[in-house]
Formats: sequence, structure tokens, C-alpha cells
Amino acid sequence: MDISETKSGGIVILGVKGRIDASNASTLEQKALALIDGGERRLVLDLAQLDYISSAGLRVLLMVAKRLTPRDGKLAIASLRDQVKEVFDIAGFSSIFKIYPTQKDAVAAV
Amino acid sequence: MSEQTTLTVRNDLSELERLGELIDAFGARNGLPAKAVFELKVAVDEVVTNVISYAYDDGGEHEIVVRLSLDAGELSIEVEDDGQPFNPLAAAEPDVDQPVEDRPIGGLGIHLARKLTDRLEYRRQGNKNVLVMRKTARSM
Repeated sequence: MDISETKSGGIVILGVKGRIDASNASTLEQKALALIDGGERRLVLDLAQLDYISSAGLRVLLMVAKRLTPRDGKLAIASLRDQVKEVFDIAGFSSIFKIYPTQKDAVAAV
Repeated sequence: MSEQTTLTVRNDLSELERLGELIDAFGARNGLPAKAVFELKVAVDEVVTNVISYAYDDGGEHEIVVRLSLDAGELSIEVEDDGQPFNPLAAAEPDVDQPVEDRPIGGLGIHLARKLTDRLEYRRQGNKNVLVMRKTARSM
């Protein structure tokens, strides 16, 4: 897993490439939670280059949302590939997260 | 077409990526559709992650055996470990319609494995846990 981070106009965009599974999910968790604890409130997760996600990755997204919500933060997820989208759908995450077809749409939403 | 393959991984989460690659190779050899291979990878990952995370309390190294077999488009997947007796199917199903604030963290792995396969069965066999998954995956 590679994580890229860019910030513009008060929005942090994290791009995740490769796989998120139980062996590396904590890396993404620490990264995202540190941003929130550091005061960031507008996050976009760009998953255009994410090939694979298991429930360990979904768990991190849930933790990020739970940390942001009481702080009036916003999280938007961009560019899910079909197979990653299927995992979101089965877990019921497609209805509880804000998911957008492009990074641009996700940025506009936070 | 039929094929049987036995994959062995250590009880270390760093093995998950290699396990995924082995399942990709199995899928490619047998011409399985990409969607079915992805679903198979997630289902096996969830079961094996559970075993690695919860089955052992001795801190030692163990082997987890994954047997894949394909016969006339029917996949059978057995995951066998020598950990403590544990039936993951006894866990409660999560409520996937709850809003973010109410969703418990965790409990999703076996839910995914259930949904991504057609049938899941658990048995205790001697000192082994055996989880059997069945899934239709027609060759293209």
C-alpha cells in the first residue's frame, strides 16, 4: 500500500494505492487519525488506484468517520473500482459513506 | 475441468498478500472470471485473518492450510488451522443498515465471507478447525 497526501484549500486528499488488508490497515488508520487530531476536518479519500480491500480496510474508514463526525468534519470517498465498490455494497458502506465518481466531485462535497 | 491446489501460509498477517497472489494464479490457470476471483480472495482473506488474529494464544508459529478445488465450475475452499476450537459462524450478523455513529467497529469479516460465497460450513475435526466455503464460479 502506498499513501499519497496533498492539501489544497483546507482539504486533505489521501490517495491509497494497492491493497488494504489486515496487515497494513493500521498504517492508513494512524495516518488519517493523526490528520484529524492535528485539526484537519475536510478529508477526501481517493481510491482510484486501490486494487483490493478487506474488512480491515472498511474498519479504518468507519473509525475515521466516527472521529470526524463529532468534530463537524467531512469525509468523502472518490473513484471506487467496481470490485472495491462491491465490497462497500455488501458491507452496507455505500449508503453510509459519501461516495463520488471523481476526486473533483468528492472535493466539491467536503 | 477440475483442479485441486493446496496453499500453506504461516499465521502472520504479512502472508495475506502472498495468499492473494496464489489465488490470482489459481484463477488465471482455470480461466475464472475476475469478479469471482476477487470475491474468492476477499472471502479467504477474511477467514484466514480471523484465524491468524484469534485462533492462537501461544505466540508460536503455525501453518494454515487452504485447499482450493474446482470441479465443473463449483469451487470448494477449505481453510484448516490447528488453533483453539472456534466456530466463526456462531458470531452474530452485523446490522449493515445502521448509520455511521451506531455501527460497531469490526464484525464485518465473516459477514463478507458469507455474502461472497454460496455456503459456509464449520466443523471441528480432531484438533483442527475446518471452515468450508462453496461458490459457483463458471469458467469463461
